[in-house]
Amino acid sequence: MLELQNISRRFGATQAVSGVSLKVPAGQMVGVIGRSGAGKSTLLRMINRLTEPSEGRILHDGVDVTALRGQGLRDWRTRCGMIFQQFNLVQRLDVLTNVLVGRLNHRPGMLGTVATLFKHFPAEERAMALMALDRFDLADQALQRADTLSGGQQQRVAIARALMQESRIILADEPIASLDPRNARTVMDALRDVNRRDGITVLCNLHHLDTAREYCTRVIAMQGGRMMFDGPPEGLTAARLREIYGVSEAEFNAQSAVEHAPRATAEAPAA
Amino acid sequence: MRPDAQTVTQWQARLPAAFGPGRATRALRWVAGAAFLLWLGWSFWLFDITPARLWNGLEGLATILRLMVPPSPGELWLDILKGMAESVAMAFLGTFLAALLAVPLGFLGARNIVTVTLLRFSVRRLFDGIRGVDQLIWALAYVRAVGLGPLAGVLAIFTSDLAVLAKLYAEAIENAEKRQSEGVMASGGGRLHALRFGVLPQVLPVMLAQALYFFESNTRSAAILGVVGAGGIGLQIAERIKVRHWDEVAFIILLMVLTVAAIDTLSGALRRRLIGRREAAIT
Repeated sequence: MLELQNISRRFGATQAVSGVSLKVPAGQMVGVIGRSGAGKSTLLRMINRLTEPSEGRILHDGVDVTALRGQGLRDWRTRCGMIFQQFNLVQRLDVLTNVLVGRLNHRPGMLGTVATLFKHFPAEERAMALMALDRFDLADQALQRADTLSGGQQQRVAIARALMQESRIILADEPIASLDPRNARTVMDALRDVNRRDGITVLCNLHHLDTAREYCTRVIAMQGGRMMFDGPPEGLTAARLREIYGVSEAEFNAQSAVEHAPRATAEAPAA
Repeated sequence: MRPDAQTVTQWQARLPAAFGPGRATRALRWVAGAAFLLWLGWSFWLFDITPARLWNGLEGLATILRLMVPPSPGELWLDILKGMAESVAMAFLGTFLAALLAVPLGFLGARNIVTVTLLRFSVRRLFDGIRGVDQLIWALAYVRAVGLGPLAGVLAIFTSDLAVLAKLYAEAIENAEKRQSEGVMASGGGRLHALRFGVLPQVLPVMLAQALYFFESNTRSAAILGVVGAGGIGLQIAERIKVRHWDEVAFIILLMVLTVAAIDTLSGALRRRLIGRREAAIT
């Protein structure tokens, strides 16, 4: 059970997330929807502690995650894998090594660190990585460089990396916003698969209500840093949606699609 | 999720390359590593590098360091300041002129700009030739040609930097993204427009950063140029080393460190101002 208690985050004068409280039982697949700037990303990043909350606590199975430091924090991050909009794979490394990154925290101590720094992974872990890749039809690409893969393939490599962490939770921050519809489907299917087969809790930021309806049993709607709705997707009726966002669903989807349009991956030096 | 031994063997059979280097490769690596170490040891032996010699050298260094404390400007401190100013001026003039002229030469040497292979090839080989001769050699030659003084130093910095900067600029231009100039061409721009609007904004930050770095580095190397009579602070250092006024040498070294730090700070600020901010369009 993951529990957020009155969690808030300020960036300077902006209140990105304010007073969100939430309980997520293990094994749920939760969709978080909202416009760009609604605080969805900040919320997920706070759970992984990539962003520190200004106020509030996060508990996982009774452990106060917000108080963790050092090795404890690294262990927590291993337990909740993160999936990013831009995949965040190491482009110049091969796919297999990218997946093995998920094992870096599994060998404790100085010797373990040294071994991993020299890319020494036991055959068992390598086979495990290949199995994880094979599950998403990517075993044949294992020795290619990550940047030779399509966006959808890269995102599934990222999910394989999270599987290697043997995490209990996967936080997916706009996992399909940079993908075309067909690739978006394969990635969402992969997330559903790890949720159903491995019982991993999935928290997924989405900008399309249809996707949330199709894949998630529970939807959270954010607006202006606040949680405006929490319940089954059927509860998010047209009237409720208009109440929260002031627009119809079609308009909401259209606006979000523009806001979340994929950014250019390689940004030229300021020109 | 965790594989049993049988699954591991299956995968090893299916994708052996995924399980790291094979036994032969690993043996070869050990042999290559051992050979390298042997070669390294041999070159130590060749130059008679022994712990005893290093230790004695350290003692000599310690003596010099003791003589350096406390640093003192000496009586001729005005000459030192003048020499420092001269060094900075030499470095600035030489680098500035070299950086300016290296821009057109860089374009001439870039594969994606000059498609005439013979022309590009000769330009690149010319850079290589000039680069093959060290700055100090140029300084010695120029001292003979134009006489002692800062002019020889400026010319030496200019010549050697021109070749290096032109090569670096040419590489930056070759790495420029094609799509941006394609956009300019597609809007009806000519080839010169494509260079001016499609390529130059991409490479200018790199060029500026490199020129600034060279200016800083040349201020340091101007010290050496003075030793061979090409003007600047180096002459002051050389004279004081000859008469073993190490405390004054220490003062000059401190002055140089401060000057280089100041230049570094200034060029950092300039770089941020010109290319750091996203909203500020350049050129």
